Amino acid sequence: MSGADANGGPLAGLRVLELADEKGQFCGKLLGDLGADVVKIEPPGDEPCRHVGPFLDDRPHPERSLSFWYYNTSKRGITLNLTTADGRALFRRLAAGADVILETFRPGYLASLGLGYEALRADNPALVMCALTPFGQTGPWRDYLSADLLHMAAGGLMASCGYDDADVPNAPPIAPGGGNAWHMGGHYAYMGIMAALVYRSVSGQGQYVDTSIHEACALTTESAVANYVYRGEVLRRQTGRHHAAAPTPPTQFPAKDGKYVTALISGGLNPRNVKALAEFLDVYGMAEDLRDPKYQDPKVIAANTAHIIDGVLRRFIASLPAEEVYHAAQERGFTWGAVRAPEDLLDDAHLADRGFWKQVEHPELGRSFTYPGEAAIFNGSPWRISRRAPLIGEHNDEIYYGELGLSRAELGVLAENGVI
Amino acid sequence: MAQPRALDGIRVVDFSWVRAGPWATRWLGALGAEIIKIEWPDNERGRLPSSTTPQGMEVNLNTSGNFNDTNVNKKSLTLNVRTPKGLEIVRRLVGVSDIVIENFSSRVLRKWGLGYEELRSIKPDIVYVSMSGYGHTGRNHHYTTFGPVAQAASGLTHLSGLPGQPPAGWGWSYMDDTGGMYGAMCALTGLYYRNMTGQGQHIDQSQMVSSVPLNGPALLDFTVNGRGSRRAGFPPGNRAHWPGTPLLNNYRGPTVAPHNAYRTHPGDYNDWAVIVCHTDGEWRALVGAMGEPDWARAEKFATAGGRLEHQEELDANIERWSMTLGKYELTERCQAAGIRAMPVQSAEDRVEHDPQLRHREMYSPLAHPALGAHKAQNAPFKLSATPAFNHAASPMIGEHTREIVEGLLGYSSADLRAGFEDGTFWPATRARFAYLEEMLG
Repeated sequence: MSGADANGGPLAGLRVLELADEKGQFCGKLLGDLGADVVKIEPPGDEPCRHVGPFLDDRPHPERSLSFWYYNTSKRGITLNLTTADGRALFRRLAAGADVILETFRPGYLASLGLGYEALRADNPALVMCALTPFGQTGPWRDYLSADLLHMAAGGLMASCGYDDADVPNAPPIAPGGGNAWHMGGHYAYMGIMAALVYRSVSGQGQYVDTSIHEACALTTESAVANYVYRGEVLRRQTGRHHAAAPTPPTQFPAKDGKYVTALISGGLNPRNVKALAEFLDVYGMAEDLRDPKYQDPKVIAANTAHIIDGVLRRFIASLPAEEVYHAAQERGFTWGAVRAPEDLLDDAHLADRGFWKQVEHPELGRSFTYPGEAAIFNGSPWRISRRAPLIGEHNDEIYYGELGLSRAELGVLAENGVI
Repeated sequence: MAQPRALDGIRVVDFSWVRAGPWATRWLGALGAEIIKIEWPDNERGRLPSSTTPQGMEVNLNTSGNFNDTNVNKKSLTLNVRTPKGLEIVRRLVGVSDIVIENFSSRVLRKWGLGYEELRSIKPDIVYVSMSGYGHTGRNHHYTTFGPVAQAASGLTHLSGLPGQPPAGWGWSYMDDTGGMYGAMCALTGLYYRNMTGQGQHIDQSQMVSSVPLNGPALLDFTVNGRGSRRAGFPPGNRAHWPGTPLLNNYRGPTVAPHNAYRTHPGDYNDWAVIVCHTDGEWRALVGAMGEPDWARAEKFATAGGRLEHQEELDANIERWSMTLGKYELTERCQAAGIRAMPVQSAEDRVEHDPQLRHREMYSPLAHPALGAHKAQNAPFKLSATPAFNHAASPMIGEHTREIVEGLLGYSSADLRAGFEDGTFWPATRARFAYLEEMLG
């Protein structure tokens, strides 16, 4: 546990042991990409996240899961079977030298193996141990099973997403995709771990961080809880925009190329921004009657909201490609965005200017691939992917032989006995 | 003896406004840092307009419920930063602080003479986190965002919806809250690095850029396999796969069925539950929970492939059963049998009906002078040695001006009063609240 390295990331020098499935691998990635030495401990032969697609060239294989590749950058990987006495003994040795342990087992599992926080802190009082579980370590739902969809439901996120009845009659609440329940859990686990590390940096003392994915999701719905607590309102789902107690004007419009544009008029329609909108649309000859001085009267604006938004604005956006509308509007100070598919981001010049896309080598394939880079730029200690995700047991030799001092003969016996 | 806080002794100069920035500093405050929120009554868009003032209460700068929940654990200093006196006070404040956070458009702070180089000249190890829309570098650095715009521009909106329909998008600013989390994560990381090395830095965090990595697997499917997600069956609504479309992974986990939302009794607006079966064993448990109906014993549902192929029929049949149960009863019954199921919860459900959130004390009342006592949201983690908790309701605007200007920075009472008269601490032409008059003595 050495001091920080000035040329590495902000967490350089930190040793993390990760025993995590889909619930925690993203948090481990954040720690690793920010410079920590993250050692991912997988059960020999069967880490389920390696069986989730998409796969390289659509050929399923535990070393070709693109989901696993993405969520496990910057980590080294070892195999270890905690159900064996030898495995538990090795883990205790690793834990004694770790700064952080991140685990996503069901509550009580590690303790039942004699590997809970109370046992491990005896050899390592400065240890920060984070358990990231669906519902936390205690409570009536403690042992419940989860999935990304379940968290989006119970956390309140689905209840706010969907369609106007006019667009899709009787639509269900919609859970946004992308595995974001795991992202929300990972963000708060990261926050809890860093808070514990800050405290440790001044006190020398470690602690246990019990993080709940359900609570992380339940917190991430902006003003929905406040709307209820302060006004008792039921918010209703609307197409491509905020939930609301009463229907609001649309903000998502189809462009000429079939893509959509999110066009918000900040602060609502008023004489100033109607004038600005008119001037913008006039450049394209699409202002229609918006330049009429009558629109300097807020009452006239209020009476013509549907005409302005669902008429003039809608027709303007339909006349141009989405990206052109987006950039033209932003250059004039309108807070608008093209609704892109993820692949569109590869053509985004702004991201290219920032060096956002990174080449990550996969030497065993003889290829490099383009990965998304850092979520923020640390100007003094770079946030960056240091290596691709580990192969199964890739660093067994480096860690068991190189660091713990086991002989190769001992490693052979452990492998034959299913310990590693 | 009171337990220590993780960020005891840490002081944050908080220029942030509206939601993303304040959401970041809320967590730093819950962890024990002193948050000095710099506000100005003429442009506090987090306070006004307000759509969360209780019915029957006057709408003013101190009665926004959402502002209250977003800004617990902070102190309010009203200050006109764009005057020489105001700027001098900020500089003295930075000199005794550890972190500076702001979420203006790029370069605003620099225009005020408070860019990173300036901040560093005052306090060499300052941790400066800028939380702009698009970042401080790159040709679009001056673009502006709200959550929905960052979500649109980053690909997140595209992940939400039914195939063949316009995007459903996110019904709130997911990236305001998530951007806020990244702001807190960056501040804590920068603080840790400072403690270990003595070095501060400027951390350039932005809402739009932070959104993009949340599309990781979809992005790799494109850069590695050449497959984009503008395709039939994407996004697949609440399913892992939309029947009748190419069988591809849709970036939310394993491709399985059942995986959907189902109506529950009595069929009101939020009477829905979700069910997911990852294995044949979980499917058989669901069949048992449904009472072994004849339809479920058909061979075509016994395999993962079969359930995916016949998903419409599968879902229609499951819903005939789910409609007979309330969503919480369905959840209990399924989970007791080892089946993944959860209710679709509204905000009211979370606050009033969720037994797990109640057990974990997720919502605790805090008393506020204007709003009264209302439930505020607590942290989603329990730290064993340094618990995070809300220690104060949001501040009334300007409430701590005297405490900070006189108590912390050492100005005199005469200085304070002069600053109220000359527009440094309050617009000269704007009426003052009674508590401000009292503060001035």
